[in-house]
Amino acid sequence: MLGLFNTLNLGARALQANQLGLEVTGQNLANSSNAAYSRQQVVLQTSLSTPTALGMQGTGVQATSIQQVRDALLDGQIRDESSVSGYWSSQQNSLENAQAQLGEFLNINSTSSASDAQGLSDQLNNLFNAFQGLATSPASISQRQNVVSQAQGLAEGLNQASQNLSALNGGLNTSVANDVATANQLLSQIADLNDQIGKSALSGGTTNDLNDTREQALEKLAGLANIQTTTNANGTVDVSIAGTQLVSGNKTLDTLQTYNSGNGQLQVRTATGGTPLALTGGSIQGTIDARDGALKTLRDGLDTLASSLITQVNGIYSSGYDLNGGTGAAFFTGTNAATISVNSALQTDPSLVQAAGVSGATGDNAVALALSKLGTQNVASLGNQTFSGAFAAQVGSFGFSLSNANSQVANQNSVSTMLQNQRDSVSGVSIEEEMASLITFQQAYSASSKIISTADQMLQTVIALKT
Amino acid sequence: MRIAGTSYNDSMASQINLLTSRQYKLQSKATTGQSITAPEDDPAGMAQALGLQADNSTTAQYAQNISTLQNRSDLIASALQQLKTISDRVGELATQSSDSLSTSAEMQANASETTQLINQAVQIMNTKDGDQYLFGGTASGQAPFVAATDANGHVTGVTYRGNASVTDHEIGQSSSVTVDAPGKNTSGSGARGVITDSRYGADFFNHMISLQNHLLAGDTASINTVDQPALAKDEDNIINQVSNNGAVQSRLDVAASAASARTSSLNTSLTNVAGADLAQTLTQLTQAQNAYQAALQSSASILQLRTSLLSSF
Repeated sequence: MLGLFNTLNLGARALQANQLGLEVTGQNLANSSNAAYSRQQVVLQTSLSTPTALGMQGTGVQATSIQQVRDALLDGQIRDESSVSGYWSSQQNSLENAQAQLGEFLNINSTSSASDAQGLSDQLNNLFNAFQGLATSPASISQRQNVVSQAQGLAEGLNQASQNLSALNGGLNTSVANDVATANQLLSQIADLNDQIGKSALSGGTTNDLNDTREQALEKLAGLANIQTTTNANGTVDVSIAGTQLVSGNKTLDTLQTYNSGNGQLQVRTATGGTPLALTGGSIQGTIDARDGALKTLRDGLDTLASSLITQVNGIYSSGYDLNGGTGAAFFTGTNAATISVNSALQTDPSLVQAAGVSGATGDNAVALALSKLGTQNVASLGNQTFSGAFAAQVGSFGFSLSNANSQVANQNSVSTMLQNQRDSVSGVSIEEEMASLITFQQAYSASSKIISTADQMLQTVIALKT
Repeated sequence: MRIAGTSYNDSMASQINLLTSRQYKLQSKATTGQSITAPEDDPAGMAQALGLQADNSTTAQYAQNISTLQNRSDLIASALQQLKTISDRVGELATQSSDSLSTSAEMQANASETTQLINQAVQIMNTKDGDQYLFGGTASGQAPFVAATDANGHVTGVTYRGNASVTDHEIGQSSSVTVDAPGKNTSGSGARGVITDSRYGADFFNHMISLQNHLLAGDTASINTVDQPALAKDEDNIINQVSNNGAVQSRLDVAASAASARTSSLNTSLTNVAGADLAQTLTQLTQAQNAYQAALQSSASILQLRTSLLSSF
């Protein structure tokens, strides 16, 4: 038999164990809305049995540890998917921004008039239509003004689109630099957390909350760049990016750095080692791929369109004659979408538009007619497409890139949500479950206190025998 | 499966966001009548729609060209009609004065009227359409015909300052028309001159001046043998011009109808590619709204149950 005093001790241990259970339940409930938190549970174990005349007798319960409920496999999968999500989300954001900057939206309810111009496509059509109008009334000053006005509109539209997309390109470089800075902070934070976890493990303490914070940092880092992790025996985690180890235990071996690869576009390498990193996931690479992929194609396409327009129009135009017999001037100046402009002399005097094919024939429309026909001709430098056809193809191609990014983000959201739900089903706090635990621990605590009060009464009875 | 508290909230928020987004898109489709607005909506459809809009824009410009050319052609028709009236009157004067029965006073009066008719014809041939003279060929910067007169006001000559070139105008894809006619063409090729054309013996001003001079001189023989046959050729030439103008107007009318039909066809294609099926869109919108209400109600019920759980504790 244990005896009444040992029974009192048994009750005290039970009170302590259930109180701890209550505290852990409280901790779980308090963090029920903390997405980074993994639920904890008290591990209860029967305390050591005592040998008695009747054999081994139990001495109650004791709490041996506070265990965190995690699934390392799910954590790893979520980190991997964070990289994929980060990659496609940054592509989607970048390309949606580019779509807005390009400003090519469809309005099928608009009339075909020049004042309803919606974007570059309409402005291109308006220029060739203005040449048509001039070919119909070659001596008309108002038609000449219309040609100059529509050409200015198109040139300014191309300038604006080029400027906007160039600014976006700069913004994406800034975004890469910011993401790299954030990644370096996270690498440093992970090394610090590793240090605390290692020390805590050494002293036998629990590292549950530190693990949560580190996991959150790892997932944030994975969203920026695909990472590889190795968990060490002391609970610390080593981190590598694109095959280069950056964190080893509590040390940051290297950090990330942006560098100009020669064309003004930022790439990523290790700061100390100087090794260019071939990233395959995360928002940093997503931004780089959007910048160097669909956005660059769009910018190059606009430049090709503008340079072809300048070359083709000037090639025909320069042989024409204006109302005063002048010839040989250029219609457009500049070389690409950023620099294309209408000859400034035409802006002040539309009579200088060289619409005639022969000198002194103000009613001749040969050049204006040839320029108007240019709108429906296939141009070799545009892949044997018309100007409007080539631009529509560029818009379509860009749209495919954005549409693909949208689909990937939607798919990735489904995968991430599914994995997150799976992890929550393991690690998330269930309020119903915790409330039930609360009742269990409360009742067990009450029952344990009854053991103590009963043992106390029995002791009182025993003591009273002597008086 | 064990459901964590955050899963409820995340799932509810995610579903409600999804349904809100779907309602927004359907609402946008219903109000704009378009299934495609941005390249991301349907890249292939967007490219096709831009192509159709470009075709539509070009066709609209062709229609505008045709309208402009119809106005010009009407002006030319009116001028030719007036010229024909003058030609008829000059012919009558020549006929009246072609025998010896006409008195000297009648001959002088007819000569005076002929002079006026020449001046009137010069005015007609200097008609402008906007900034462009109708009968100056492509050299339309100045009035094409200038009459010279003597001290008595009789016309001694009419100079042509235009040229014999005319322009083609596009009225459709690979379809062009020549509306203008030059005042004079002695090159032996190209467009027929309205006043003078060496191929057909037409030289209306000089023939009228000749008649004027013969009337002043009382030379009925020359009127009979020289002027009348020459004026007949001028009459034929003008009739030919009127006929040609009629053919051009007819072509323009056909081209206008074709442009209108093509615009209609392109608009239909554009609606097929980028237009929203309103019946389907509104049905889908109703479904989305119902789903949204159901999601809100079920979410509210779950939250209420969880609240009651906490209260019961």
